[in-house]
Amino acid sequence: MAVVKIKYTKTERARQKKILKVSLRMLPLFEAMEKSLMSTINTIAERIEEIRAVIEKNNKAAEPWVAVMSDSHVDIKTYISVNKIITKHADVAGVRVEQYEGVDFNVMPIPENAPLWVDDAIILMQEQLQLMAEIECLEEQIHLLEEELLDVRARIKLFENRRIPNAKTAIRKIGQKLQDDERLTIATAKVVKTSQKEGVMA
Amino acid sequence: MSNLVYLMCSLPSLRFGQEPPISMDEFIDEAKGQLSAKHFKKLEPVDIFKATDSDGKVGLKSIGNMLGDLQEDISEIRAAKAQKRTPNLARLPQATINTNPLEREKLIMRWQWEELDTIQAGEGFTLTEVLVYKLRLQILNRLSSFNKEHGLQVLESVVNPSKEKEV
Repeated sequence: MAVVKIKYTKTERARQKKILKVSLRMLPLFEAMEKSLMSTINTIAERIEEIRAVIEKNNKAAEPWVAVMSDSHVDIKTYISVNKIITKHADVAGVRVEQYEGVDFNVMPIPENAPLWVDDAIILMQEQLQLMAEIECLEEQIHLLEEELLDVRARIKLFENRRIPNAKTAIRKIGQKLQDDERLTIATAKVVKTSQKEGVMA
Repeated sequence: MSNLVYLMCSLPSLRFGQEPPISMDEFIDEAKGQLSAKHFKKLEPVDIFKATDSDGKVGLKSIGNMLGDLQEDISEIRAAKAQKRTPNLARLPQATINTNPLEREKLIMRWQWEELDTIQAGEGFTLTEVLVYKLRLQILNRLSSFNKEHGLQVLESVVNPSKEKEV
């Protein structure tokens, strides 16, 4: 690791003090941001679990009749498909994400001679597809928030382990050096004054 | 007539709910070999899912009526659901209204089976019996296609296609 060369000047000391002041002010902000991101990620993860529970509940409710979907007379896959997932931009914990709005379906009109179960299957599939789409959006949000969290944690680490200690060390060293220089100047001046006095006496 | 008798005697008997004892292709081959061209032409368009063929003709009036009545009741159930009212069924049993989709299909097929009983009553060894046999074979084929595992796969393939690809 390259050693940073310190300039032992008053200007440099002032600059290091400014860095320390800014760093001490920024650190709590990043720590608050970290907490907020973690809490948001947890909330989203809980929401995903809630949605998964609803999906499971729907599957359980459909279990007694799901066998009808293998009807050799009907290909239910041709009746419904997802055209696109509708989202809108939103700021979550300071991160720009896509928020779930709904699903645009391609639903084929049910022919009159289609069995009645087709209607029930389409309703079930629409609900499940909507829930799955919401999970997809929420997982993407978590992904983006986790990236931001990593970035914030790196910054906290940088402030805690590098910028703040480095600035403190630099201020201390510059202070000592400036003090030493001042003492040396005074001592030199005294020596010069004494030798001048001795010269006059002689 | 003797060909009809021979055909009907050579075919296995059918019971509602059993696995089809003969495939549709085997039945068609057998019928083609035994029936006259005129009779076979009448058999071909008969379909449990269609009241009329592509030309709008009915294979047998009583079968056409039964399928037409069923269609009307199905339309009534759909309309009642959309209008949030109780359906007023003409032919189907009321039990079809408040049951799950699988049981409903089974009830409808059971109703069709019983209606076919009425249609073929007194029509032993006639073309009507052959037509009814074909319709019953279609019912059994459809009934035996209902499978929970396969149904779940179909649902999964629509709801979660990416997961299906991964598997």
